[in-house]
Amino acid sequence: MGETTPKRPALMQLPAARSVALEADHLRAQDLCFAYEGKQALDHVSLTLVPGSLTALVGANGAGKSTLLHLLQGQLMPTAGSVWLGEQPILRCRPRVALMPQRGRIDWGFPITVWEMVALGQVQAPRSICCDVDAALQRVGLEALAGRRLDALSGGQQQRTLLARALMQPARVLLLDEPCAAIDPPARQQLLRLMRQLADAGYSLLVSSHDWGEALDVYDRVLVLDRRLLADGTPAQVRGALTALTDMGNHACG
Amino acid sequence: MPWWFLPLLMALMVGLLCPATGTLLVTQRRLLQSNLISHAVLPGLAVALALGLDPALGGVLSGVLGALVAERLQRRDGRSHEAVINTVLAGFLGLGVLLIPLLNLRLDLEAVLFGDLLAVGSSDLLRTLIAAASLLLLVVCSYRSLVYLGVDPDGAAAVGLPVRGLRLALAFVTALVVVSAMAAVGVVLVIALLCAPVLPGLHRVTSLRAAMLRSSLVGMALSGAGFALALLLNLPPGPLIGVACLGLLLPGSRIR
Repeated sequence: MGETTPKRPALMQLPAARSVALEADHLRAQDLCFAYEGKQALDHVSLTLVPGSLTALVGANGAGKSTLLHLLQGQLMPTAGSVWLGEQPILRCRPRVALMPQRGRIDWGFPITVWEMVALGQVQAPRSICCDVDAALQRVGLEALAGRRLDALSGGQQQRTLLARALMQPARVLLLDEPCAAIDPPARQQLLRLMRQLADAGYSLLVSSHDWGEALDVYDRVLVLDRRLLADGTPAQVRGALTALTDMGNHACG
Repeated sequence: MPWWFLPLLMALMVGLLCPATGTLLVTQRRLLQSNLISHAVLPGLAVALALGLDPALGGVLSGVLGALVAERLQRRDGRSHEAVINTVLAGFLGLGVLLIPLLNLRLDLEAVLFGDLLAVGSSDLLRTLIAAASLLLLVVCSYRSLVYLGVDPDGAAAVGLPVRGLRLALAFVTALVVVSAMAAVGVVLVIALLCAPVLPGLHRVTSLRAAMLRSSLVGMALSGAGFALALLLNLPPGPLIGVACLGLLLPGSRIR
């Protein structure tokens, strides 16, 4: 499993007919509303994710970040509004949008190797995916740890395992729920670099975070959420909006 | 065939089957539910006996029904799952105990609850084989889905795996296993064989398959040794196997 593949792994290559493929991979949300236990968790949120972009979704705890990601993946049904991938409603093409869950939702003590975990990204596909798994592992720099158990990894390595699993799906849209939470700064830097590379390779990434300090500068675009979209722009544009929100500014810790 | 052969065979088979199922239950965090199922078999058992049907059939149906009732009652917002499950457990158990005098049944409640290994017959063995076949079918057909569901339940739902169906199938297999193990260790003590043999080594193996295999071997050794010891000391095997399960956990507790 450790040997290097001579060519760039197939799943990382951009489609030849770029413009056609990119249209189909636009993820659009229109006027999403979601109520939970009688409370309005999301209020008319609209957004479009375009391929090749690295977008941050910031907001305080309880601002609806996780809910929005689950709505965008079709795991939750909105009380109003709709989600589209290209011309299709999301429920018809859920495998083409990958959701990387919060790390607290994973049972890290489960008896499974890194390799097998990544292979689950194609759980419904027939076998003969070995090359893809090796390529995904190589992409996130974990090929040497393929045979380890998940609980023998560091937090950052665990997050990269989840990312590799998402790369196994036939998805060009990746939704990452707090991938940088509870991992140390070097691991966070590495993960951000990796996300940048994926965006440059044509994926669209939406990354939720409650960290809106310096770290925001690596993103192309930042969405500020507090049940509704408060701001949407480049990190510089949004920073003004963030500091204006004094209660949110208090949370900023870099 | 010596008189002890059938009981020993039964002890070994239950010792193999329960931990294999238990490995799935532990890794799917379904133990509380399986404890509910094991107690909820009682009312169905009683009704089936009264109707002159195979008690195992009634037991399986009422075990799965108990799990479904608990799931239904959990859906109300803000309710503690554990509280609901334990309440349904007590309710079904109580109902089963009440049905015995109400339906005028001649049922040895003690044997149902704690097992009577020396009284097992070939029909008990047949039930165990059916339960084993159902477990094998579930694992062969849905191995990777079960792995996904265990390690990442949200992710499993997100990629469109039939989470409810898998859990229902697991509940059904659990009910079959409980009913078949009833003769050997009883519906109360079966939980020990579902849990204890799973734990040593679960943090070391690298696949669910290996975990199932390992726990089965441990369970068979435990169950066989418990049975032999019971004969030697002239004690009831079911409770002795239960105590041996507890003993299994003690050595590891100092190391970690």
